[in-house]
Amino acid sequence: MATLEVKDLRIRYNRSGPEILKGLSFNVEQEDFFAIIGPSGAGKSTLIRCINRLVEPNSGDVILNGRNITKVGRRGLRKARRNMGMIFQEFNLVERMSVMDNVLSGRLGYIGNFRSFLRFYPRADIQRALELLDEVGLSDFVDKRADELSGGQRQRVGIARALIQQPQILLVDEPTSSLDPKIAREVMGMIKQMSEEAGVPVLCNIHDVQLALEFSNKVIGLQDGFKKFEGPTKKVDKATLDEIYAMEIL
Amino acid sequence: MMPSTLEHKLAKILTKRKKYKAIRYGLYIFIFLLVLGSIQTTIIKDTDWEKIGTFGTVVKALARFFPPDFSLFPHLVKPTIETFMIACLGTFLALVLAIPVSWFAAHNITPYKSITYPIGRAIMTLSRSVHEIVWGLIFVAAVGLGAFPGILAVAMRSIGFISKLTAEAIEDINPGQMEAIRATGANGFQVILYAVIPQILPVFVGNTIFQWDINIRRATIMGLVGAGGLGLTFHRQLVMYNYGGVTTVIIALLLLIAIGEVGSYYIRKAII
Repeated sequence: MATLEVKDLRIRYNRSGPEILKGLSFNVEQEDFFAIIGPSGAGKSTLIRCINRLVEPNSGDVILNGRNITKVGRRGLRKARRNMGMIFQEFNLVERMSVMDNVLSGRLGYIGNFRSFLRFYPRADIQRALELLDEVGLSDFVDKRADELSGGQRQRVGIARALIQQPQILLVDEPTSSLDPKIAREVMGMIKQMSEEAGVPVLCNIHDVQLALEFSNKVIGLQDGFKKFEGPTKKVDKATLDEIYAMEIL
Repeated sequence: MMPSTLEHKLAKILTKRKKYKAIRYGLYIFIFLLVLGSIQTTIIKDTDWEKIGTFGTVVKALARFFPPDFSLFPHLVKPTIETFMIACLGTFLALVLAIPVSWFAAHNITPYKSITYPIGRAIMTLSRSVHEIVWGLIFVAAVGLGAFPGILAVAMRSIGFISKLTAEAIEDINPGQMEAIRATGANGFQVILYAVIPQILPVFVGNTIFQWDINIRRATIMGLVGAGGLGLTFHRQLVMYNYGGVTTVIIALLLLIAIGEVGSYYIRKAII
């Protein structure tokens, strides 16, 4: 059984507007590093956000390990979100909070209101946070405020925050577009390595084709809300790319 | 010689500027007439020119306020402290009550937009459009004389200001941080706690300190309607025609306000 099944996903932002996703279906397996590529405006970010319902899809199913996320209520949705770690393009750390508190905020789905008000996390969470920060090379930055970090460092905090959720899948939205090429590659390597260690599949949308081909084992090519291509990364050649990016060339 | 297309454009620009010039001068004349009209109706017509004093009588009237009556000083300590406490407690009450109001009145986090948003905005407007003296009168009528109605009046007036600026700050926050916290499976309360509050805290604290500073001034006049503090002493001295005493009270007021000014400067500096 696939970890994540997406079936016939459709969305339009307003009733009269254009359809952004036009019936997308695909499966993500346990060991996948799935790259979603395609020109700007193809619906890559919308797709990622539909999976944890930061954006509500109009129809279709998203099934994570047998549970249909599009059908659950508010409480069920929070439970489902806690099983999906997310990494963002603009890092989206809480700027005025310490690195440690930012990583710990990944555990919010597991603790109650009172504990989160007092920032009183279980010892095991704090220990895990420190281990993850050590793994991304930031164990000396625990007390720094997030806004004191560089872009690459912030994204590494973002990776730790996503992984401390003990997710069943990682949703990654353009992790490298705010970073320079060298750091972008480092961050991608880190996501790949740490997700493999944790045994978590990755669904990553990325416009940098080179990086996509280098790190992924499967690729979806999106164009104008349609799936133009799906297959193993090694099958992607110049002709496929030309087709996916056809609109941009015109 | 300019090419004819440019010449044409130049002519257009010149006529346009001429038109604006006419509008501008028209506006100047209009404002001048408005000021003249206001002076005519409010000062020239309304003043009782028969009874107006000469320069000498004005000086004489002012002279009655001197020297200050320092014998009053021991009686001023308690009302001064009371005024200060009215301001502090009033600000604190406003700060607590402004939290739900700003939550309701920020359109990006308000819980039930069609119901709570108008409620929040209405409280805000009501609070700000009613003067503190009027609030004082209302609360004196409701809970009786003393410092308590003063505290309530000052608080009511401050809620609107603090919550308006806070709600606007909430509407300007970076939505990405909210999205990220929501994506961890956090509930609404946790999203506000982790993604909203850290972003608006400096604005909130800054406004509260500013309000505290202003509330010291507001508290000084609360006594005029019987709501405690130095204003009450001021009023008593005035009705007893003890103008020296009035001066002493004013000195005490100035000292208190200066303390507030200096205090808020240092608190702001320490926190932000």
